[in-house]
Amino acid sequence: MVRVRCRFWILLFTILSLTGCHREDTSKRLMVILVPSQDNPFFKAEADAASGRALSMSYRVRVDAHNDDAFRQDNLIDAAIASNASAIILDNAGADSSIAAVRRATKAGIACFLIDREINATGIAKAQIIADNHQGSAIVAQYFVDAIGPSGGDYVELLGRESDTNAQVRTGGFHSVIDGQRNLVRVAAQSANWSQSEAFQKTETMLQAHQNLRGIISGNDTMALGALAAVKSAGRAGIIITGFDGSPDAVAAIRLGELRATSLQPAVQIAQLAVDEADQFLKTGSTGEPERQIIPCVLVTRGNADDFRDFEKVR
Amino acid sequence: MTTAMPSLSQVMRFKATRVRTVLFVLKARAMVVLVALLVLFSYLAPSFFSANNLSILAKHIAISAILAIGMTFVVLTGGIDLSVGSVAGLTGMVAGYFLTQGIVIVGAQHDPPVLICIALSIAIGMFVGLVNGLLVSKAGVAPFIATLGTLYIARGAALLISNGKTFPNLAGHAARGNTGFQALGQTFVAGLPLPVWTMLLLFGIGVTISRKTPFGRHVYAVGGNERAARLAGIPVPAVKIFTYLGSSVCAAIVGLIIASQLEAAHPATGESFELNAIAAVVLGGTSLMGGRGSVSGSLIGACVIGVLADGLVMLGVSEFWQMVIKGTVIVLAVAIDQMQSRVQARFLPLLLQRGERGGAA
Repeated sequence: MVRVRCRFWILLFTILSLTGCHREDTSKRLMVILVPSQDNPFFKAEADAASGRALSMSYRVRVDAHNDDAFRQDNLIDAAIASNASAIILDNAGADSSIAAVRRATKAGIACFLIDREINATGIAKAQIIADNHQGSAIVAQYFVDAIGPSGGDYVELLGRESDTNAQVRTGGFHSVIDGQRNLVRVAAQSANWSQSEAFQKTETMLQAHQNLRGIISGNDTMALGALAAVKSAGRAGIIITGFDGSPDAVAAIRLGELRATSLQPAVQIAQLAVDEADQFLKTGSTGEPERQIIPCVLVTRGNADDFRDFEKVR
Repeated sequence: MTTAMPSLSQVMRFKATRVRTVLFVLKARAMVVLVALLVLFSYLAPSFFSANNLSILAKHIAISAILAIGMTFVVLTGGIDLSVGSVAGLTGMVAGYFLTQGIVIVGAQHDPPVLICIALSIAIGMFVGLVNGLLVSKAGVAPFIATLGTLYIARGAALLISNGKTFPNLAGHAARGNTGFQALGQTFVAGLPLPVWTMLLLFGIGVTISRKTPFGRHVYAVGGNERAARLAGIPVPAVKIFTYLGSSVCAAIVGLIIASQLEAAHPATGESFELNAIAAVVLGGTSLMGGRGSVSGSLIGACVIGVLADGLVMLGVSEFWQMVIKGTVIVLAVAIDQMQSRVQARFLPLLLQRGERGGAA
């Protein structure tokens, strides 16, 4: 019987010991940072940059991930309201499905600063700071066209999740450049949902179907790396692969000459800028900037790959 | 033997009382954990126990609780419904479609009012439930497989409706006469959000059905021993079909509430909700083997999961730890459930004996 009771209390103490670290310190103002996930290097860099900057300005910081689930994001924003947060730095879960949540937070007196992705509404958030996905995809597509050369040939495109605005903007940017090239033929286009393993499988299949492939243009770096692994395992050479995002893994592959180029989204710069503007807003009541701010992307190739680290230009 | 030795009997009686106490604590474990969590979080996060946060917390709990209420009946029959998350996503999308696109009947565009949209969406949800029920009871497909299939079908259908896009702006247009949808998830009645009242209403219905109606007894009978129930003349297939229908209706209501809260319908809404609902049901002491458990247990289970999720977020515990902690609580709860059954079985003679004596005295 003692054993039974012991085990029961273990349940409680597990919870107590895991969570009961310290009481919340409410003397400092709270900044809540919400990103899509914490196990993806891009969002991790973004969250780390924002929380580092906010901590250095002596805010209290809470970082959470909504996993691209608008309902979970809604709950996290509720939690921010209940905790009397001063500002929310949000990389949102959907241009349309996030509007109600941002509006509710704003009504509750929390200043919302959107980073990386926009919402389809203006005048609610204090700022929407995003990377220029169209310009970024156009520069990487221009490099792709030049690398394949005037002879042209067949290429395939790996698309991101179809419901994601960025996937649509990027493919638009690619085609604004590539469609002018008459001798480049897109023989296949598949969505790999931003995922490396899915890109690997789909590229393997496409490599089987198209023996004369000259290039693979991918909507993000994870899919480009998946495609690279498939090309390697198929033993094919001379296929030009480009990505988008500027993730550390992709930049490393570019250094080795395996990937040819990517477009670096200045995630760190954007996150820090958002925190700076939030601080400015909380102190003066205005960010001093327009709501919509677009930050250009940078082309990363073998020539300048050493200048970049973790979504940041370090040199 | 014990009657011949009174001193030993007294020892036994004392022992029986202790067994009873332990059993009581074990049975009320979810409640004990819930109270402990509330106290803990209120201490650690000063804003946790504010009226504002408790109202928000209740709103969050309502989502898993509504799913868990429907799920309880399915689990009581020995089944499982994995499709609830997808059904929630699908009904949200159906409502979104009717609210933003309207219906074209004989070439003419109609904008159905909100109540019709809601009714149509729930009907679609019920259709999935009916398919589940027929697959399980008539086609003889194992519940896990049948509802896994409809999980994929419903999710695919939700994506197909809009081709993967979100239906924005469900607030409607006054000119089209379809405003008011956001009331379902966003209005407050007597200080509490409407979803909480919906949950309480469904909870009342669930408790009444399970305790007071012949159907409720049939559900327990089917889960306890299906063959015996059939031989006793209980319409087993009908009972099962109704439990899956009920579960889908609950899921449909959840889908509508979420679409209303977000004022947008996203096809991926509700992913992995089924796991939360099952966890709530299991935490509440319902056996996955069927025949044992209660609706009120599931409500407490949903409270535990909701309080844990929100409390950990407010404390700023990392997302990864949140998952570990949630998993630990679920596993421990089921382990204790098993322990309770063992303790009960082992000391049953002791408990019965005391009952007899008490009755005689």
